[in-house]
Amino acid sequence: MLSFTRRTLLALSASAAIATALPAAAADDIVIGGSIPLTGVFAFAGVGIEAGMQDYIKIVNEAGGLQGRKLRLAYEDTGYKVDASVAAFNKLTSQNTIHLYYGDSTGFAKTINGELDRMGTTIMAGASFATELNDPKAFQYQFMAGPDYSEMTGILLEYIAKEKPGARIVLVNSDTEFGRDPIAATKARASELGLEVVEEIITPPTAVDVSTEVLKLRRARPDYTIFHGYVLAPLPEFMTQAKQLGLETKFMGTFWSMDASIWSKVGEAADGFMGVMPYRYYYDEADNAPMLDRIREMRPEYQSTPYMQGFLTAMLFTEAAKRTLEAGQELNAPNLKAALNSIENFDTGGIIGVPISIPGNSIPVGRIYRYDASAQQMLPASDWISVQE
Amino acid sequence: MKIGTAKHSYQADEALLTTRPQRLWMGLFALGLCIAPFMLDNYWLYLACLVAINVASATGLNILTGYTGLVSLGQAAFMAVGAYTVGWMQLRLGTPFLLNIVAGGIVAAAVGLLVGLPSLRVKGLYLAIATIAASIILHFVFVNWQSVTNGNSGLTLTPATFLGTPLTDYKQLYFVFVPITALMVLGAANLFRTRVGRAFIAIRDRDISAEVLGISLLRYKLTSFAISSFYAGVAGGMWAYFFRVVTPESFPFVYSIFFLAAIIVGGMGTILGAILGAVFMTLVPELLRFGIDWLTPVLPNAAAMLSPVRTIVFGLLIVGFLIFEPKGLAEIVQRTRRYFHLWPFKK
Repeated sequence: MLSFTRRTLLALSASAAIATALPAAAADDIVIGGSIPLTGVFAFAGVGIEAGMQDYIKIVNEAGGLQGRKLRLAYEDTGYKVDASVAAFNKLTSQNTIHLYYGDSTGFAKTINGELDRMGTTIMAGASFATELNDPKAFQYQFMAGPDYSEMTGILLEYIAKEKPGARIVLVNSDTEFGRDPIAATKARASELGLEVVEEIITPPTAVDVSTEVLKLRRARPDYTIFHGYVLAPLPEFMTQAKQLGLETKFMGTFWSMDASIWSKVGEAADGFMGVMPYRYYYDEADNAPMLDRIREMRPEYQSTPYMQGFLTAMLFTEAAKRTLEAGQELNAPNLKAALNSIENFDTGGIIGVPISIPGNSIPVGRIYRYDASAQQMLPASDWISVQE
Repeated sequence: MKIGTAKHSYQADEALLTTRPQRLWMGLFALGLCIAPFMLDNYWLYLACLVAINVASATGLNILTGYTGLVSLGQAAFMAVGAYTVGWMQLRLGTPFLLNIVAGGIVAAAVGLLVGLPSLRVKGLYLAIATIAASIILHFVFVNWQSVTNGNSGLTLTPATFLGTPLTDYKQLYFVFVPITALMVLGAANLFRTRVGRAFIAIRDRDISAEVLGISLLRYKLTSFAISSFYAGVAGGMWAYFFRVVTPESFPFVYSIFFLAAIIVGGMGTILGAILGAVFMTLVPELLRFGIDWLTPVLPNAAAMLSPVRTIVFGLLIVGFLIFEPKGLAEIVQRTRRYFHLWPFKK
């Protein structure tokens, strides 16, 4: 005879409760998959990206979805490891029909590219702005929600050429694929704009002691120093030591080192740091930015730059799916990518300050911001700059 | 109840599988491996391929560290050598993939011989540091030998082809990787029935005594490094065909720690230990994902909230095994076997 202990009954009832509370995922949901780093060295970005994507999906779903179909984000943590990202991709694509996917790194984007080509069902964007990915032939089903790294430094150079023609520049890059990515393109573009790259410094990605490199900087006496391939360290150390030596160089960075909350922890030494930012900041109260108002309504506290990146990526995924469905076409990679590439003069609701077009794999638009330590905010230092050819 | 195994010949005494139940279980296991690809979806096939690669590399490290007693933290770098060799041969020479994988093993073995030279003078933590130094040097080579490695951008491989068919999906790769790994594991098991393997064990147990017994430390320590690196090179070659992108960041230092942890958790100095350790280290983080999936219905955004917890649970599991089962997972299997030997007369 069967006999149940109280513990068994409790376990059974808990299981039943969970089973009945299964998510109301409809079969025709449009699923956005994601290999997102919620742990590991890139977790700070992953958390923001996930929140940004979820918020945009919520906005779309509250407005009725896409032709009555709800959007849903299915994602897994990757720890910013390529093998875990591929595992997450395989797990999610085995469990769901996924046509839109967010990838977390250049390594993953390159690794999964062959599979995307083979499947022909899914387009992908992600956290990587690698120049190599900005090739619509080699990476036909991928794109990035912003300028690639070479375009980012190109935007910086455009600004410099306008502010100080013939300026002397030092490039400081981390010794990684990420860090070395834009060096050749930056040098070539600088030469075209009549700027002089007087020194190249390569450091370990999280270098601590940079005194030798700062001495090189002193010898070079640049007007501008462009960092790339870092999030924060060793930038504050560079800036502090350079100020102590009386150097008047202006320090600049690219997207991943542009979050205001990171610099606010650095304090006074961060004052004056500049860089290229493809999106507006959370606190920007521009008139033509209803999406920022909506974000502030949903989340009263500051949201990071990765949040904006995730938000815009979800918006572009949605727009591609919307255009594909409106054309009465099947949701597959060729149709979705063609729909994405049909985006022209698109209003992002103020996330980007100018209308955008995506003829290829990137959105080569950005703006220079300067950190104001007293306001603890990144403030605009230029108008929006496009390097679209 | 089994009370003993009578062996009537030296051949029977040396056999890898000595009892009928062992042969039966091994047969069932082999059968399971053969039919698994037809039962598994893409996700599990991916993990099966990854497990096969990691088992091959962990077995190699076990030969060096578990059986010869030489601690190495350079296994990932040796894998990278194999991966780059495969990538270079495929892109430049267009040679068949099996040849490339073997060549990857051979080049890694040659590098392993060089890296193993300090083992003649140092051991333990000192040797571990020497192998870390070798990893750093190799990383520098991968970044800067532009003409061969394509620097930081690395090499992008085309799929391996077999009789003109590109091996692009995981089922096809499974039927390549699993047999290669099975052969390598079988080779390792047989190695320890030979003079060479027993010399390794003698060196591990007491190197001075081994030398007194006539075992050349120079020869056998370097042989151990070469064999271990060969295994890593072959695993790296399979890895290259699996992910098809090889960059200097593909094989970080933490990957070497992963393999060392695998053989410690699985059980050092046993063939089964390296297999179980690699399976554990590869699959447990993935299995913990299902815990999060299970909680998702009752806890919205469980993945975002619980992913750090998953990492902590994985770490605690490793620490737990080290404390409660220091001889590794292989010992649990042995204990289970002993229990059934005497069943039903002993609990």
